[in-house]
Amino acid sequence: MDAYEFINFHLVPGLLLGSIYAIGAIGVTLVFGILRFAHLAHGDMITLGAFLVLGVMALSGLDPWLALPIAMVLSALIAIGIDASCYDYLRKRPRILTVMASLGVALMVRAVVQMGWGTDPTTYATGIVRPTEYFDFILLRDRELATFAVVIALVVGLEAFLRLTRWGRAMRAMSDNPDLARLCGVDTRQVVRLTWVIVGMLCAAAGFLLGINTEVWAMMGWWALLSIFAAAILGGVGRIDGAVLGGLIIGVAEELSVLILPSQYKSATAFAILLLILLVRPRGLLKGKVL
Amino acid sequence: MDPGLLNYLLFIFVLVGIYGLMSLGLNVQWGLAGLFNAGIAGFFAIGAYTSAILTSPEVAGRVGGFGLPILVGWAGAMILSVALAWPIGRVCLRLRSDYLAIATIGVAEIIRLVARSEDWLTGGVRGISGIPRPFGELSYLASQWAYLAIVLTVVVMAYLLIERQLNAPWGRMMRAIRDNEAAAAAMGKRVDKRRLEAFILGSALMGLAGALFVHFNRSITPEAIDPMIVTFLVWIMLILGGSGNNRGALLGALLIWLIWSMSELLTDLLPTEIAIQAKYARMFLIGLALQLVLRFRPEGILAERDPSTLRNEGPR
Amino acid sequence: MIRKRFAAALTATALLTIPPVSAQDEVRIGLLFGISGAISAMAPTMVDAARLAISQVNAQGGIGDGKTLVGTLGDSGCNPQNATDAATKAVNIDRAVAIVGPSCSGSVLAAAHSVTVPTGTTIISPSATSPELTRLNDRDRVFRTVPSDGYQGAALARALLERGIETVAVTYIANDYGAGLAESFRSEFEANGGTLAAYQSHDGSKASYRSELSRLARSGADTLMIFDYGDGSGLTILRQSLENGFFEQFVGADGMQSKALIRAIGAENLEGLLISAPIGAGAEALERFSQAFRAENGNPEGIFAATSYDATFLLALALEHADGDRNALPQSLRAVATAPGEPILPGEWEKAKQLIAAGEEIDYKGAAGDHEFDDAGDVPGAYALFKVTGNDFEIIAPID
Repeated sequence: MDAYEFINFHLVPGLLLGSIYAIGAIGVTLVFGILRFAHLAHGDMITLGAFLVLGVMALSGLDPWLALPIAMVLSALIAIGIDASCYDYLRKRPRILTVMASLGVALMVRAVVQMGWGTDPTTYATGIVRPTEYFDFILLRDRELATFAVVIALVVGLEAFLRLTRWGRAMRAMSDNPDLARLCGVDTRQVVRLTWVIVGMLCAAAGFLLGINTEVWAMMGWWALLSIFAAAILGGVGRIDGAVLGGLIIGVAEELSVLILPSQYKSATAFAILLLILLVRPRGLLKGKVL
Repeated sequence: MDPGLLNYLLFIFVLVGIYGLMSLGLNVQWGLAGLFNAGIAGFFAIGAYTSAILTSPEVAGRVGGFGLPILVGWAGAMILSVALAWPIGRVCLRLRSDYLAIATIGVAEIIRLVARSEDWLTGGVRGISGIPRPFGELSYLASQWAYLAIVLTVVVMAYLLIERQLNAPWGRMMRAIRDNEAAAAAMGKRVDKRRLEAFILGSALMGLAGALFVHFNRSITPEAIDPMIVTFLVWIMLILGGSGNNRGALLGALLIWLIWSMSELLTDLLPTEIAIQAKYARMFLIGLALQLVLRFRPEGILAERDPSTLRNEGPR
Repeated sequence: MIRKRFAAALTATALLTIPPVSAQDEVRIGLLFGISGAISAMAPTMVDAARLAISQVNAQGGIGDGKTLVGTLGDSGCNPQNATDAATKAVNIDRAVAIVGPSCSGSVLAAAHSVTVPTGTTIISPSATSPELTRLNDRDRVFRTVPSDGYQGAALARALLERGIETVAVTYIANDYGAGLAESFRSEFEANGGTLAAYQSHDGSKASYRSELSRLARSGADTLMIFDYGDGSGLTILRQSLENGFFEQFVGADGMQSKALIRAIGAENLEGLLISAPIGAGAEALERFSQAFRAENGNPEGIFAATSYDATFLLALALEHADGDRNALPQSLRAVATAPGEPILPGEWEKAKQLIAAGEEIDYKGAAGDHEFDDAGDVPGAYALFKVTGNDFEIIAPID
């Protein structure tokens, strides 16, 4: 196997998938860090985001990339609504109950998607798209370049928000030490709501990017859930840069795994990495928090 | 009583018994020792496939053909579950609760992938059939009664065993560790050893449940060990019934299975044009039911008898 | 107190949901399909096809002296737990005298072992293709209108060799559908001189298969066999192969015959796609079914649509023939489905009723095949090759 093949059919797809996992992992790590539970509904929220874009396209006739921001806003509102009705009252209870509640939410969201759009896979656009060759070496499609651009924009934007704005600093404070944050005057309820807004937007973006590079179908998010969790934990819980790093590693590892493992074990790659990191270095590569 | 209804109830109670056994096992791990085991399906699979391999007839290309008696199969199921729970426990139990859950999900998924892929061991996607069933040659009604009797005997024995352990010093020590690990360790209790014991005991019961399931259906295929219908259901059963309480575990199994099964009959009452959507709605209802339980009675229906445990925040 | 009220409420609900004993003017059959679970995308079309058969029966005179045929829908979920639960409910609560389904082979095995064989309930599955079912000790109660994978894989192998395709790469979805097809394809293909440049299975739940495809393409074959579902990972694999220029020719089995492929990829890109699917001896039977189904807004090329229709229609014919005796259903099924007899095409219920009443033999020619049941309740496969034309799949030639 030569470099051309390795880069174009293993590395690039891995990085593409990995960057989508990264967006998902950022959302998961935010919930882990600020709300302190494993958000099992994250996968199905991603699915919902992808279908929301379809819905916006159907109602307004917009191009998918233009429908995305609208879908992100809708997803943010839905996330706040779900938190208010399903997680809020469990805040003082043992965390396992919130985890179970999120599993229930996952089922409900998935059922709504299936009832509303059926179970057939769909796409944002019909047809196939062949890649363009750059530098006589790398094959990339426009949608893939756009995906990378969106991911970079989201990550940079989020980091800037967390570091430079007051609300961002409040979120980081709550992630580090909620009691202290409260003592310093941080309005925890607002921070929670803000977290869900960001998580909702990220889920919509992840769903859309996954859908535009593959297909949109009711189980898409659930199947990616464990890879996304692996990515978040691998990088270090509570760290955005950790989630991005973890996502990229998991994505590339999955695509490279078929070189050594039989391909029906592709899913096992993420689990194996997850188990390994939990045993060897539970704080993750970039030393996030341990819950 | 209407014979159809009787048949149906017999069937329900066999499955409630099997799931109840898993619920009891989870209760030892979670309710008693505070271990968030989300890999129930993995131990169920180990027990199921072990008993299947030991008792089913020969098939070309696959390990098996031992044709051993059913009880040997069940013993093998428990032994292998214990044998695998030990290393998994030693390695994973020092993780914090959410991480333990994710690690055990990972373990269960790997087991499921192996079961699906390794034809030479598990029959791969085809699974294993021709598994013998105790009293299987009797008439339908008689063999259902017989199997129900077997399952109930096993469940009662497991219940009595765990109750005895609960009331013994071992049980009190487990609760002490769950509620305040630092204090227990300071008092010289071997925390990790006790937790491993609880984990292994629970896993043995889950493996046995797998074996009981497999002999009831006389076949096993990889779809049967999907986490959605094993792990998830058992967790809801324990939460609804009341974690920390053995009778709660069994009650939860009964109620959740009834809701699961009856919800289909309910959706059948809807007009046929939306019959398929109604089946998706069933999943929605299950999710909603879970939300309602968590909202209005999160400690479950039969709360743990020791009131001191209700005050605290729960394990890490 | 709360506990008692809760228990009482649950019991009341339970009693309410148990339907009354079936009325004297009804004949009930269970329709068990995998509505949730791995093949949920296919289920709606299968259910609609079954319902088409039922509505035709009722519109043309019903069963016996005008009894209404009623199908009670159950979700077998493509796993044994749901399947045994649904089958037990169908037999005991809904009082179904026979069952169409379940959809997945593992579900059929579980349901057969735990309830339908012990109660003597005849079941006829439109989509369970595992060879395990042939070996099943079922007291002649388990039938299927879909040929065992053993047949289709072998037929496809012969068809390709005939067309001069001698080297292929194979990828199959890791379930009993994919594995059964791949194995039977492999043995027939290699036995008759073909070469398998690559042979591997893939997980059906991933978003990207480019690395697997690159490995397969490196084997040097020009043709890729995709034993998968066109509304699942088969679509992803086909699309990613086309987009990256892996392979020129693609071949699939009936699982790939899905409109979702055409909608997502576009017919103009699918010229290199060949698909095999079961077909009746006469295209006329398929045409009748397709017309009737399209009139109800159904998709006749939907995966297992034709077999679901046939299974239901055959069951109705058998019920008519057996005159209410559920124990005579196996013999009646064979009598109405196998030659000799006056041919009955899809939709010809009234004609069939008259012939049965007159004591004449009939032979149902189904949309998906003639369904000449053998001793094990299996049907041999008659297949044809299809290609994509316009918005649809069009038959090229039957396979011997």
